[in-house]
Amino acid sequence: MLQRRNCILAVLVSLFSGLACAAPAADEAATPEESITKVWAASKFLQDKGASGFASLNSQDGIWTWKDSYVFAFDCRFDRMVAHPTRPDLVGRPIMQITDNNGKYIFKEMCKLASSPRGGWLEYVWTRPGAGRVSRKLTYVHTAEIAFSNGIQLAAGVYDEKLSLEDLDKLTAKMADPAKYPAH
Amino acid sequence: MAEQKLGNPAAVGLAGFGLTTLVLQFHNVGWMGIGPVIWLGLVFGGLAQLIAGLQEMKTGNNFGYCAFTGYGCFWISLALMLLGNHFNIYVSSKTDIGWFLVAWTAFTAILWIGSMRISGALGLTFTLLLIGFILLDLAHFGYPGLTVVAGYELMVTACMAWYIMAHIIFADVFGRDVLPVGKPWI
Repeated sequence: MLQRRNCILAVLVSLFSGLACAAPAADEAATPEESITKVWAASKFLQDKGASGFASLNSQDGIWTWKDSYVFAFDCRFDRMVAHPTRPDLVGRPIMQITDNNGKYIFKEMCKLASSPRGGWLEYVWTRPGAGRVSRKLTYVHTAEIAFSNGIQLAAGVYDEKLSLEDLDKLTAKMADPAKYPAH
Repeated sequence: MAEQKLGNPAAVGLAGFGLTTLVLQFHNVGWMGIGPVIWLGLVFGGLAQLIAGLQEMKTGNNFGYCAFTGYGCFWISLALMLLGNHFNIYVSSKTDIGWFLVAWTAFTAILWIGSMRISGALGLTFTLLLIGFILLDLAHFGYPGLTVVAGYELMVTACMAWYIMAHIIFADVFGRDVLPVGKPWI
């Protein structure tokens, strides 16, 4: 009887520990460094793969989704969402009219930021994956050069209540040109 | 026995060249998507212009033979490259497309010299086409903003090609030269 009880307990423990391991990665928060790195990597990926690379960006389980973040792609000139791993309903649809809960035209602002060579960061409110409520989101946006296009805009963000846009811009500058920022 | 009247293949060649160039520029300046460019590039700018070019051989016109056949192949290659990029077959990067355009710029430069010996209108068309190619080359090697400038410039090129097309057609249907093409420049 004791043996049977221990066995059930062991099954329950292993079940719950397994669940803990399989818990959504969204519990972990993406960092700004990761957002910048992922956007730049996606930019290089699209340079090599052309339009055929969009399928990879649309994949929910692909390399462009991690922790609680993801890379999404849009076309400012043609006012279209090109790829979005968590909102497939937005793909192919106009984006310029999209606002956050505060009425900010997110994509109009992102397109302005993406026109600068190093891109930029935008602050707005957005639903965090798995959280079911809106949070302060800071998104890095950058333009990728891609064949047969004037450029596709790529973005990825972090959910954070404290980070300032100034600090994020400094971080971007540092990552773009590390030689200018010696470690010591 | 009366000799059978032959059509001028250049009318079709210029029509395909002009229309497809115009539609690609509508895309380049941001007015429309890429879909119609691919299909027109394959059929009118590509196949029809290529056939027109091959028919020029029978007329003994080496300029038209080379130009229409060449640009017909340009459009077919461009459309296939677009499809290749979509379906992940021999994907071309922006730099690859840039070098593709540089080669066509060199090809155009040779024809540009020949065009100046044919008529003023053809000389102007090829001058504009050469400038358009150079702008597109620069757009692919560090100056992406020039794509839009090239777009408007190449729309004028397409209209010039249509002017010569209209000259050929109107001369036939009206029995006189309605739209003069001017004397050769050299």
